[in-house]
Amino acid sequence: MKAVFKWSGLVALGLALGGGLAVWQMQASGLGNDVRVGPWSTGRDIGTAHADMKTRAIVALRGLLALPAQEARYFTATTDSAGAPLSGKCSYALTGGAIEARWWSVTLYDRGGWLIPNRWHRHSIGSARIDADPATRWTVRIGPAEQPGLWVPTGTDGPFELTLRAYRPRGTMARDPARISLPSITRGECRP
Amino acid sequence: MMRRLAPFAVVAAAAVGSYYATLAAAPFGLMRLAEAKIASNAPTNHFTHLPPVRAERQFVVRPSPDLLYSACPYDLTAGPLEVTAVPVPGRYSSISVFDARTDVAFVRNDEQMAGRPMRVVLALEGQTVPVGIETVRVRYATGIILQRVLLADPAEAASVDPIRSKARCRTLAGQQ
Repeated sequence: MKAVFKWSGLVALGLALGGGLAVWQMQASGLGNDVRVGPWSTGRDIGTAHADMKTRAIVALRGLLALPAQEARYFTATTDSAGAPLSGKCSYALTGGAIEARWWSVTLYDRGGWLIPNRWHRHSIGSARIDADPATRWTVRIGPAEQPGLWVPTGTDGPFELTLRAYRPRGTMARDPARISLPSITRGECRP
Repeated sequence: MMRRLAPFAVVAAAAVGSYYATLAAAPFGLMRLAEAKIASNAPTNHFTHLPPVRAERQFVVRPSPDLLYSACPYDLTAGPLEVTAVPVPGRYSSISVFDARTDVAFVRNDEQMAGRPMRVVLALEGQTVPVGIETVRVRYATGIILQRVLLADPAEAASVDPIRSKARCRTLAGQQ
């Protein structure tokens, strides 16, 4: 009987370790990590039958109902361009240019992938409000304090992440996303 | 030596099996939860036309506040499903079919619809479908059909509502 308990305990330990590792990886990973552009990352096979088991599980947990790449590309950033984790206590300048897509937007989420309540009910900004002129550089402010112009509130003192959606990607964005240029994320002041 | 290593081997084998089993099962489990959440507001095989996304009402993880969603959790065990929709003029819209494993089985956007209504039948392998209608074969009986409509401003939802509400999914009677 003692041996049965011993071996059952070992099996249970193995199951817990393996399952725990899988859940941790699903929670800690971005939507996809096979393409990196500055602080942004994405996967090539999101939403398709070609996705590997791990990618499919991560997308199910962190981006369920995501579309395949020919319809939309999803880039996530959990750090600024210098590699520091995005914090709701800090202000950031999101600066970019033309994005090759029919429409695009950048949305702010908590680290679980949920919108963070804020009194302005403002969570995203994108091509609907930003000049479509390819030669124009634009800057969006992200931070806890209200700012004039293009601004998205962090709504939290905790960590957050950004998702850039590019619907109906075109040109290099469609063919080879590793070669595109995406907005930089520059940290400004942080409140204590 | 073998006796000493045996416990480690058992733990390792169980861990590897559990790791892959968890990754394989997660998409099915999470999809089931999403289907149940949507179906709590409307029956299966019917579209629910969801209100604009707010932080206080998120039907799925990582929703886009720039999109207006309609969702039809489906179950093909009673027969194939007919899906119809019309594009919303002048803006991005799409219909996509996600199977129980979260894979996309079908996408059709407004550019591809070219201003015309869309009609497809969703069916399992072996199910009889009406002749002459575009058919999408899926591997699993359940999943979610999602309609997305772009909103440049949340205030546009009222004008978009009557058009996106034309999307329908319904079981085809007599087809099995």
